[in-house]
Amino acid sequence: MAITSQPAMVRDYWPRYRRRALVITIFMQIAATIAIGSTLVAAGVLVPTPAFWVTIFAILATTLGVNILLATQLLIPLKNLTSALTHISGEPTVITPPSPNAQSFERDGFKPLLQLIYQLAAGDITATQAPAAAIATHATNFTTALDNAAIGFVIMNVQQQVSYANKKAPVHITPQGATVLDLLFEADDTLTAWLKDCEEHAVHAEHTWQRVANKIVGEDDRKIYDVVASYQKGSEAEVVISMFDRTATYQPEDDSLDFLAFAAHELRGPITVIRGYLDVLGDELGSQLSADQVQLMQRLVVSANRLGSYVNNILNASRYDRRHLKMHLAEDSIANIYSSISDDMQLRASSQNRLLAVHIPPDLPTVAADSASVGEVISNLIDNAVKYSNEGGAVDVTARADGDFVKVAVTDRGIGMPGNVISNLFHKFYRSHRSRETFAGTGIGLYICKAIIESHGGKIEVRSREGEGSAFEFSLPIYATVAAKLQAASGSNEELIRRQEGGWIKNHAMFRG
Amino acid sequence: MAIKTILCIEDDRFIGEMYVRSLKKAGYDVQWVVDGEDGLVAARNKPYDLILLDIMLPERKGTEILSALRGDGKDLIPTTKIIVLTNFEQDEESRAVMQRGVDAYLIKAEITPKKLLAVIDKLATL
Repeated sequence: MAITSQPAMVRDYWPRYRRRALVITIFMQIAATIAIGSTLVAAGVLVPTPAFWVTIFAILATTLGVNILLATQLLIPLKNLTSALTHISGEPTVITPPSPNAQSFERDGFKPLLQLIYQLAAGDITATQAPAAAIATHATNFTTALDNAAIGFVIMNVQQQVSYANKKAPVHITPQGATVLDLLFEADDTLTAWLKDCEEHAVHAEHTWQRVANKIVGEDDRKIYDVVASYQKGSEAEVVISMFDRTATYQPEDDSLDFLAFAAHELRGPITVIRGYLDVLGDELGSQLSADQVQLMQRLVVSANRLGSYVNNILNASRYDRRHLKMHLAEDSIANIYSSISDDMQLRASSQNRLLAVHIPPDLPTVAADSASVGEVISNLIDNAVKYSNEGGAVDVTARADGDFVKVAVTDRGIGMPGNVISNLFHKFYRSHRSRETFAGTGIGLYICKAIIESHGGKIEVRSREGEGSAFEFSLPIYATVAAKLQAASGSNEELIRRQEGGWIKNHAMFRG
Repeated sequence: MAIKTILCIEDDRFIGEMYVRSLKKAGYDVQWVVDGEDGLVAARNKPYDLILLDIMLPERKGTEILSALRGDGKDLIPTTKIIVLTNFEQDEESRAVMQRGVDAYLIKAEITPKKLLAVIDKLATL
């Protein structure tokens, strides 16, 4: 005959446990009585007379009765709990489930326990009423406080999803219900990139970003924040982000750039027309012009080109001041960058009777450069060299490799500078007393050159001797030395790295005339 | 892809005439419209090989035209190349958005008609 083992049922527990509890109670009582009785007899304190036996049995009966009553009483809560659990387990049972509304439960405080069991069974996981209430009060206080706080506040969990955002936080909720931060980070310095770096290398870290906007320029309710993020690996609140609204400080500066942007737009219109029509006329008149008329045309072209450069300088300087000067670094060669401005430079030099000699070795290593900006630097330096050299003087452009850098120098044999001028040379609007009197200019060219070169991770230096001329030399990192870093950064900005042969023409540098 | 037909959307008469004159001389078939609305209609009605698109335009901005033609993941003019030609100094983010949707992004003040022809030649060979 096969032995079938019944699965244990919830309802079976109570009768079995009750039985065992009573058996143990009775057994222990009898054992205790026998032990005490025998000890007394053995010690000779009492003699086993009939009176002795009567007394022993009387004590045994009384204590048994009292203890069974006591045990039964003590087991009542267990009985109620098991019958409640039997009831919610869905097992067939004849026992009436204990009602949480029974007065006795209300009196002895069993009611909340029963309610908790029934609520848990109903899937109401917030059933932990008493502590929940306390936590809820705290949470409400915190939420209210955070919502009233002057800063935006966001918490991210280990999965780096937003788990909390207060009212001031610039966030939006996706159709899928996820909360997403509205912050437009610079392409090469994003929160995501920082978090990735933290995950790999940090246990605790902090980072600050300045001037992070939540919307692009022109959209309503655009705000500009300083953002501070702290990272604590594995914490419930792994990332805590505070956003300080600095719109009032940054917006006026942005507005002034808006003004400059519009002003540049206005200036560029006529420049476009002048340069364009000179181009068209030069083509169409071509052979009809006499030699001196060709020279007049060239002067027009050179002046129009320089006008264009000045507008670019002003725009670059204003971008730099707002920290919006962006370099899109790509692998390029100095020879290639120079070739894009070569015609213009030759024309500028020759129209002012300077001899421009360019020696850029074709086998120099490639550099990481924003070709348009580096073109602007070289053009500014040549402009200066032409301006501060003498009629018929020579201007040399040379390039060489030096360690991890390629160095480009523009040298003239012109009027040179005394030492006290050199130290101020790269300051904005700086113009030496002498040059103010003798030469036209804005004092912005070298300032922007320095900004551009330093944004590349290079340096710009000057050597000069009064009466003998000046040499400006700037360095750019060799592409191979920074390629890995640049490629890592390009994950967030595919335009950051462009190889020259790429199929997309982003920049005007190659086509500058 | 050979480029023959060009739509020039440019509101500045001097600049428009300048491009049209040199492009026609170079043998292109050029249509020129001065406002954004007409530009969008023209771009939708005929498959041009190339569109020269200004940003600051009356009626409809170049950015709006671009997003109407190539926004939301669709591309109404897959065979057409677009060159944005502008003097307007856009902020970095808006410029990046436009650059993703076009084949070239050029500053007009830097581009003489001769240089524009060189860019078009280069685009045609890509």
